[in-house]
Amino acid sequence: METNQPLARRAGRYRVANLLDWLLLGLLLAGIALFILYPILSVIATSFFDQGEFTLRYYQDLMSSANLKLMQNSLWVTTLSSCLTTIFAFCIALYTFTASARRRAFIQRSLLLTMISPPFVSALAFIMLFGRRGLITYQLLGLSINPYGWQGIVALQTIGNISFATLLLMGSFDAIDLKQVLASRDLGASPLQTLWRVVIPSVRPGILSVLFTLFTMNLADFGTPIVIGGRYKVLATEAYLQVISTANLGKASAISVLMIPPAILAFYFYRKTLSRTANLADGSKSFSGSGYTFELPRSIRWVLVGVVGLFFVVMALKYGNILLSTVSNTASGEIQFTTRYFQDLPRSQMSSFWHSIVYSIIAGGAASLLGILLSYYTHRRKLPGMKVVEFVASLPYIIPGTFFGLGYVAAFSHEPLMIRGTAAIIVFNYTFRQISVSNKSANAAFSAIDEKLEPAAQDLGASRIEILRGIVLPLLKPVFLTCFITVFTSSMTAVGAIAFLISPGRNVASMELFQSIENGRYGVAAVQAVMIILVTMAVNLLAMHLLDRSRKQQKGGKGHVSATEPSQEAV
Amino acid sequence: MKKVLASLLASAMLATAFAGCSGDNSSSGGSGTAEKPYEGTTLSVMLAYGGAEATFDAFTEKTGIKVEYVEISTGEALAQLQAANGSTTADVWFGGGVDSYIAAAELGYLEQYVSPEAEAINPTYRDKDGYWTGLALVPAGFLVNNDVLEEKGLDIPKTWEDLADPQYKNEIIMASPAISGTQYAILNGTLQAWGEEKGWDIWSRINDNVDFYAKGGGEPGPKTCAGEYGIAILAMTGSTFALEEEYPVTAVYPEDMIPWTPAPIGIFKDSENKEAAKIFVDYMLSKEGQEALREADARIMAREDVEVPSAIGNVDTSKLIQQDVTLFGSQREAILEKWDALAGEKDS
Repeated sequence: METNQPLARRAGRYRVANLLDWLLLGLLLAGIALFILYPILSVIATSFFDQGEFTLRYYQDLMSSANLKLMQNSLWVTTLSSCLTTIFAFCIALYTFTASARRRAFIQRSLLLTMISPPFVSALAFIMLFGRRGLITYQLLGLSINPYGWQGIVALQTIGNISFATLLLMGSFDAIDLKQVLASRDLGASPLQTLWRVVIPSVRPGILSVLFTLFTMNLADFGTPIVIGGRYKVLATEAYLQVISTANLGKASAISVLMIPPAILAFYFYRKTLSRTANLADGSKSFSGSGYTFELPRSIRWVLVGVVGLFFVVMALKYGNILLSTVSNTASGEIQFTTRYFQDLPRSQMSSFWHSIVYSIIAGGAASLLGILLSYYTHRRKLPGMKVVEFVASLPYIIPGTFFGLGYVAAFSHEPLMIRGTAAIIVFNYTFRQISVSNKSANAAFSAIDEKLEPAAQDLGASRIEILRGIVLPLLKPVFLTCFITVFTSSMTAVGAIAFLISPGRNVASMELFQSIENGRYGVAAVQAVMIILVTMAVNLLAMHLLDRSRKQQKGGKGHVSATEPSQEAV
Repeated sequence: MKKVLASLLASAMLATAFAGCSGDNSSSGGSGTAEKPYEGTTLSVMLAYGGAEATFDAFTEKTGIKVEYVEISTGEALAQLQAANGSTTADVWFGGGVDSYIAAAELGYLEQYVSPEAEAINPTYRDKDGYWTGLALVPAGFLVNNDVLEEKGLDIPKTWEDLADPQYKNEIIMASPAISGTQYAILNGTLQAWGEEKGWDIWSRINDNVDFYAKGGGEPGPKTCAGEYGIAILAMTGSTFALEEEYPVTAVYPEDMIPWTPAPIGIFKDSENKEAAKIFVDYMLSKEGQEALREADARIMAREDVEVPSAIGNVDTSKLIQQDVTLFGSQREAILEKWDALAGEKDS
């Protein structure tokens, strides 16, 4: 910090800095208003108008017993899969917490890689393995199990989110005050008592936060139920199918509006747990760096080992199956190798791939930066009204993607902002759909940074922009990179919103995959999925490499926690 | 680890690069600008016609007009058009469910254009006002998994009514007619042929045999190939018959009647390249274009002077249902409402 400059010049710089600060805030607010609020309102408006006349007809139609059932279904599946995922994630995170540094790094990296889960193909792998003619259920065990239904949805949502949830939870475990654990053991508490009275209470806010994040994600998920749901219907699929089957936008958006109240509820709980976490933070209690490992009772340890083992088996099956599907035809029970699927790739494949990578990198950077700024203005500067802004920013994450995508079509197909059919609309959509993720990570990171830091810098004469550039952003650099990985990964695999935004010559890889699935070209879809996985993995490894370097520079090469997980601090 | 990944990635990229090259000869060879008044124009196509992109290069070579496309189901395309109030950056709509074209024409999203080539096309395959013209007929039929039928001791169904036989309980997979244009055409066509009363009775008994309705026309085929279900109801194109070589399946044309739907082509009202779009439509409807299309994905082409391809089996064209395609549009809401009541929870 250059603090020894003449006062007069500094006064001028304050004015410029303040101006810049307001400009930044203005841009952030304008972005959220334009690219989140405006499209959502545009599509909600369609549910209130029928041929230009105001009507509540669509909402009256919603109050039927069929829709009530739909809501029940959604809540049942969502609650169950969110709880199961959280339980499994807790076990894996707890195991990792007690494991040696090397194992820990290995698990973290495995989680990071298995977080890349292209849409639909995991459901296909599941059907291929456990379906009515599944390789395992039928060929191996001679069973014919019907996988279609709520059980299938729950199983797949659980498997699909487990890596992400574990990574989130590990952040909370990392923040456990090791001194408390040691003190508890020194005072004669058994490992079990310590687990129960110290460890679990410490990560409880994290658990709740993960639970609610999963809840919103699963509620909005339409890709899983559409493939595996069979006759079991949920709100998100119904909203999507309504859109594409009846060409009745009003009705579809009314159904989507039904999903907003549960989402608001989840957000409310998230905020409550967040404020509790913030109170706990004193900014100095990192577990990492010490050589101590917490020993668990043997019986619990074995349960955890079992869960972790199961996780690796399931992931090996899933990814092994996808890989195998790229070069072989396993559908008829025996494996026939073929290279045909590579030849059958659509000819726009490479350009779509290129678009995906470029758009996702831009979105990853932009969403991370905006999320951090949003968190800064909301929780550090505590500007009035920012909490509402934060809620608005979290909406795209919790409403179904198709709905958000149609909002973009409705809002940006006419002047003054006619960007439909351009690359910009895709990038904006990727970016603003994910702001909430980076915002939450930043919130968690900020709650671990001493609140007195910025006033101190201010007292020493730093301007607002200098604080932002010189203190806040450098401190959040690891968060920036981890957010980047998360946003980049989900953009590479996004389908919901984007389905309505692609246009000829502006296709993306995840949509090419979706189109292959829709047309029943499953082998080609597997090849496309593997390509997405490999590219995403490559970019993520690169980002991790950069992150490791920046951490080492920051901590002076201190930590053994070299593996870095997206949103590790998110809770 | 990283090296392995890198080399894997490289080989995947390479493989696709080769795959991409094989079809890429789009640089125009000719020079006569008089024949190619729209050389350099780029047309945008919304595509729902499997494999058709293979014909675009030949068109580009002939006319100098470049073609960009995106695959999108007609249901999604229509939703997108509606959300945008009919405005679109695309020029041509290519293939898919004719009911979406009819709806779009009614909403005023399509341009009227009667191609000079349309003379060679049976009027029942095209819109009388010229909003869309049929490129091909997509016949519908069954795909049966021989292993499954044999194992369960089931007969190969021969007619649509056979499907209502209780022996096929939970062995039939078909798409929801609300989502799949082909499935909707099957429902509407058979209802036209049987008459409402008999038709709905048979469909309600078929419904008893269906476990759930797939969320798209692409799903029943692969599921039956994998042996998850014994019988699929689906569109019979060249790619359906190609499955016979890979899987223990047989494609069967029903003996009583063959439902069909036209795969249409139309020009968007919002198109800024209407003249080039017309040239494109003319080409696709010309004998040359039709033969190229047939090559790309075997179907019964709309032009009567283009022979029925052998790749779609022995289709008896006299069994094609005599139907009024305009009813696909006007009856859609009523039929789907009735369907909804009949299928109940199984379908969305």
